[in-house]
Amino acid sequence: MKKTLRIAGREFAATVFTKAFLLGLVLPPVMMLCVFALLPILMNAASPKVKGHVSVIDRTGVVAPKILDAFTPEKLAARMAEKAKKVMEELPAPQAAKDMAKTNTGMIAKAAEAKAPSLTVQSLPVTSDPEKVKDEIRRTGDKAKNAEGDDPCLALAVIPAESLKADKDGVFGSFDFFVAPKLDVEVQSDIQRQIGRAIVDARIETNGMDVAKVRAITDAPKVEAKSVTSSGDKNINDAVKILVPGAFMFLLWIATFACGQQLLTSTIEEKSSRVMEVLLSAVSPMELLTGKILGQMAVGLMMMFLYSGAGLAALVFKNMGDIVALTNLLYLFVYFVIAFFMIASLMAAIGSAVSDIREAQSLLGPIMIVLVIPMMLWLPILRNPNSMFSQVVSFLPPISPFVMVLRISGSEPVPAWQIPATIVLGFVYVGVALWAASKVFRIGVLMYGKPPNFRTLLRWIRMA
Amino acid sequence: MLTTIEPITPSTPKSTHREHALQPVIELRGVAKAFGPKRAVNNLELSIPAGSVYGFIGPNGAGKTTTIRMIMSIIFPDSGTISVLGKASAVESKDRIGYLPEERGVYRKMRVGAFLNYMGRLKGLDSAGLERRVRQWLERVSLLDCYRKKCEELSKGMQQKVQFIASVLHEPDLVILDEPFSGLDPVNRRLLRGLIDEQRAKGRTIIFSTHAMFEAEQLCTHLFMIHQGNKVLDMPMAEVWRTYDPRAVIVEPMDANGASDDRPWGNFPGVCGVTPTANGVELHLANDADPGAVMAEAARRAPARRLELKRANLEDIFINLVGGDAAALNIENERSAGSGGDA
Repeated sequence: MKKTLRIAGREFAATVFTKAFLLGLVLPPVMMLCVFALLPILMNAASPKVKGHVSVIDRTGVVAPKILDAFTPEKLAARMAEKAKKVMEELPAPQAAKDMAKTNTGMIAKAAEAKAPSLTVQSLPVTSDPEKVKDEIRRTGDKAKNAEGDDPCLALAVIPAESLKADKDGVFGSFDFFVAPKLDVEVQSDIQRQIGRAIVDARIETNGMDVAKVRAITDAPKVEAKSVTSSGDKNINDAVKILVPGAFMFLLWIATFACGQQLLTSTIEEKSSRVMEVLLSAVSPMELLTGKILGQMAVGLMMMFLYSGAGLAALVFKNMGDIVALTNLLYLFVYFVIAFFMIASLMAAIGSAVSDIREAQSLLGPIMIVLVIPMMLWLPILRNPNSMFSQVVSFLPPISPFVMVLRISGSEPVPAWQIPATIVLGFVYVGVALWAASKVFRIGVLMYGKPPNFRTLLRWIRMA
Repeated sequence: MLTTIEPITPSTPKSTHREHALQPVIELRGVAKAFGPKRAVNNLELSIPAGSVYGFIGPNGAGKTTTIRMIMSIIFPDSGTISVLGKASAVESKDRIGYLPEERGVYRKMRVGAFLNYMGRLKGLDSAGLERRVRQWLERVSLLDCYRKKCEELSKGMQQKVQFIASVLHEPDLVILDEPFSGLDPVNRRLLRGLIDEQRAKGRTIIFSTHAMFEAEQLCTHLFMIHQGNKVLDMPMAEVWRTYDPRAVIVEPMDANGASDDRPWGNFPGVCGVTPTANGVELHLANDADPGAVMAEAARRAPARRLELKRANLEDIFINLVGGDAAALNIENERSAGSGGDA
């Protein structure tokens, strides 16, 4: 046992006290924060300013003035600012990052204003030929950027008289809309929406009703869900509900993976540098395997403590500490041990069987595919955490711990028996994985030459 | 260079080799091992007495490393039993065994001092005084200035010396060295020979496998030859010399002209034949002749600058024992290759 711990100690030190590891530990969270803080700004600054005019051939005679009214520079800028705000709120970013971005609201509003298209509306005579206007649009498209400084025609709306009159079935007519092919999607949809709105307003008026009143009546109420907790009702972002379980699973995944990968490379290094047999003169293969796994597990636990601690501290600081239950954190660590032992056994077995990292790739492929499954199941499982499917995959190795962490930290409570059941079953899987890995390890560590395939590995497991 | 390594004061009383001097340190009974269709070792019987220096000799792929690995319990025999230091398996007495494997290496990124300290701790040494021992050993092999260097900065020969230290640092009762001389220059070969001899002088049992016949002749007290998994020779060195005694006396007269002159060697009691060599002659002894008397007579007849009893060299014995097979194998290979290749 003493020797096992000594090996674990070396494994831990050799992994952690490297510049690469420390950098890898700090960089991902910093990068994530940067992305979340910069994303809104980037999204608003993405496309160049749109400049030009929209031609309207209004055959009703009442819609055009309303459209003109919607496209005054003030109203355009206001709509843009509103939109930027909404984008940011809907962004699936952690609250902290959003708060950071919120402090920049002024900046964003300014950016939105600067970006607001300078659009004008030209109401053409009813008799104008749409084809001629379309030619103009076509020329705009061909000239593309050379059109700067001009006032190119970007779009044409032809509003027929029928758009205000219902036919005998009570269905109103629509309007025709033509745009330059390179028109900014957001601007195009804004124009479309505003024209539609103007037509509806005109319909309301021609039917002798008050536009403002009808709009108010038909405006569907918008609410934010409040979650009922012991410390009172709280506004809770839907995004957070999905993000917290996701963060739990991702934490588990990244810690398991980073350390599994380390175990693989360190085993391969010991083999390729031929230090393996020197070690085996002092310890048994089982002691070596156990020591290495324990050492890497310590690395993983440290990573999880640091990340979950930082995350929790941020939540508590933002007064959202109670969205993460402490028992869930405890389960996270239990499931980490299960997940880690399963993956680590596989990695150590593969590492011991091959002579260099390239040979490992072909064996790693299938394992990687299996391990990406929990990532893909994130949303389906959260949407329905207690569906038959979710329950079945909760018991399948090696993804069981990942799925369980998702379900436990999700909104619906998991049937009580499933937590102890998956933990017990998880440890059974761990036992089997360790047993198989030790068989492969004991034979593999001294095997050089042709890299084995899965069939050979199975034969090794059956042997001895 | 002449630093003496302080003996370890054992925390638990270790049994000395004297206690089981009568009982073999290693005993193999009917040991066999196959890798797939290839039989690596066949029905091997071997008994290694305490305090001996056992040389394992055999061509490449003969089964030396397999035998050593089985002794070390790194691999397990398909059949037969092995006892090491009175235990059923080396696993139970790993801390009393020093092992230098054939496939050996160091952690490239680890510092030399840290590596040796780590290996010492893995062999069950206390940390107290360990660092000083490591330094003393490094000084003995003139590598003290490498204490803080990374292992990857060392040359292959230097790494090999570090590995040797790792295998004897814990003062084991049994030292097993697989090809310890491969890759060393003559200076370091001599250094290593000295270190091995020192281990023997301390009463330790040493097993080493080698292709280097000269080193084997110099060091071994016992010889074990293996060929295609079968034991072909296993006896004390003195017996080897006796068994493979060529029964000849080499004479190189002082007078260079005497070389071509075979007159002094006529009518020589106890000599049944004379073969001229480059600088003298070889006198072949009759069956009942006394080598001492023949040598005295030879010295009387012609003053010699060299006069000695011819001794077989291991290379000849080795080739004699396995060479026939090797030649047969070559012929077979040539046949199967069709038109004689360079097999």
